[in-house]
Amino acid sequence: MSKKMISLSLAAAALLVISAPLFAHHSFEAEFDRSKSVELTGIVTKVEWMNPHTYFYIDVKDQKTGKVQNWACEMGSPNGLTSRGWTRSTLRVGMTVKVPGSRAKDGSFKINASNVTLPDGKSLNAASSGEQGYTGQ
Amino acid sequence: MANRSTQHRAANRDTLVNNFKDQSKKEGRLQVRIQSINKPIAIAATAVFLLAITAILSLSQAPAGGQAGGRGGRGGGAGAPPGAGAGAGAPAIGGGAGRGGGGAGRGGGGGGRGGGANAEPTPRFADGTVNLGRAAGESYGTWDLPYLQNMGAANVVVGAQAAAGGGAGGGRGGGGRGAAGGGGGRGGNGGNNPNPIPQVRGSAAEPWVPFQPWAAAFYDYNQSNRMKYDPEGQCLPPGGPRMFATPYPMEIIQSPETKRIWMVFEGGTHVWREIAMNGRPHPKSDTIKGSTWLGDSVGHWEGDTLVVDVVNFNEGTWLDYYGHPHTDQMHVVEKFTRPNKGTLHYEALIDDLGAYTKSWTVQWDIPWQTTTDKKELKEYICQENNLYLNHLKDDLGNSFVPH
Repeated sequence: MSKKMISLSLAAAALLVISAPLFAHHSFEAEFDRSKSVELTGIVTKVEWMNPHTYFYIDVKDQKTGKVQNWACEMGSPNGLTSRGWTRSTLRVGMTVKVPGSRAKDGSFKINASNVTLPDGKSLNAASSGEQGYTGQ
Repeated sequence: MANRSTQHRAANRDTLVNNFKDQSKKEGRLQVRIQSINKPIAIAATAVFLLAITAILSLSQAPAGGQAGGRGGRGGGAGAPPGAGAGAGAPAIGGGAGRGGGGAGRGGGGGGRGGGANAEPTPRFADGTVNLGRAAGESYGTWDLPYLQNMGAANVVVGAQAAAGGGAGGGRGGGGRGAAGGGGGRGGNGGNNPNPIPQVRGSAAEPWVPFQPWAAAFYDYNQSNRMKYDPEGQCLPPGGPRMFATPYPMEIIQSPETKRIWMVFEGGTHVWREIAMNGRPHPKSDTIKGSTWLGDSVGHWEGDTLVVDVVNFNEGTWLDYYGHPHTDQMHVVEKFTRPNKGTLHYEALIDDLGAYTKSWTVQWDIPWQTTTDKKELKEYICQENNLYLNHLKDDLGNSFVPH
């Protein structure tokens, strides 16, 4: 079993423990494409700890071209995040974070984050609407 | 007058429905493309995805049932063991095969709540009236509303199983979830999972919902575009029975001395309902008819059942996330009971001859929550920064809001 497989299995195990269906304030599938998964690593430039979705923005450097692109990352509401271990000061401008998620359908630089790995290696669930899967065609 | 406006609306809807059908066909041809994932990861991811879906389904909230013993269906149950429910509560009876083979029984045993609040009697005031809120001296406690996405699910609509005829398996509910009581865990769902991964099944899969043709088309359209126009996505209130199917805490506060009851909701946006208990009639329909999001509520007690009659809804809301419509002719009769401390049973008659050919009834259970972060209401102002609205485009590609 490769390392990747092990970590994915661990992720599944973690999901078993923490998962509860989250309220999708708006339709996930109307805005994001579950099949377009990406993992971004970047520096936080802005945090909007607000309802109905917390957004944060990160500068991601393209390894090949060196070009920096700012991405918007959507998470759940502050209430939902708080119940998953977040505080309003967990994420701060200047931090380097790793964020897997699903890209916006319209191709814009926006993702629905599934979790966030902080500089200390701690990973927190993003309380995102995408957690509630939708597999319609 | 009423007839004319109904006809006018119907004509408008016919036009809309035709447009919707065209759009639905296009949407139906869309195929999901797996992109940018290499093969080994794709295989692993698929395995994880399946595991995750299983986990989510087995752990997901089951609106009906829930208390130890549950309202477990007695149908041909293929009940799997309780999900993560490790509580000591009595198991629910049966689980249930899906109707007509449409999905085999999943879950079934409501784990239970380890005795907890379900073993405790219904709280009452000194005069014997049922207390639908916290008891005197109780610091915490809210009704932990379930995430019930489809008001037309077979185990939500009363009588759906019977209407489905042969092959109907699962009874209503069967799921269970831990709530009050530390030992509680989340149980499995019943055969007809009320909270499934949304699928485009549409009105044809719900023969027990008495759709009028336009309502069926409207519903199918909403499903075909993944509910993108859901009013809740615009931070509008859930309205009607959906208030009790939007998963935020809620409290019921009784004020016998002023003959009023308040229902205070954290979500889908911070709103409350006031229920007049003084016997007053509804306001004249030409004064506020069709103008309110939550309707005008008047209530009375029938024994231990709080009966609330609600009219004067506007047409700004959907019945549920899946997109069942209603009109401003909707009249709702709600019945609230608290069979034990840990359970609020909710039932709502939906009487809307503008959208349905006859009235139909939905019901589910709501658990009392005293232990998690939902033990008290928190502020939730949805309108604060709703970027979704800025991103939303209509079917012609135009922005929903000017910006």
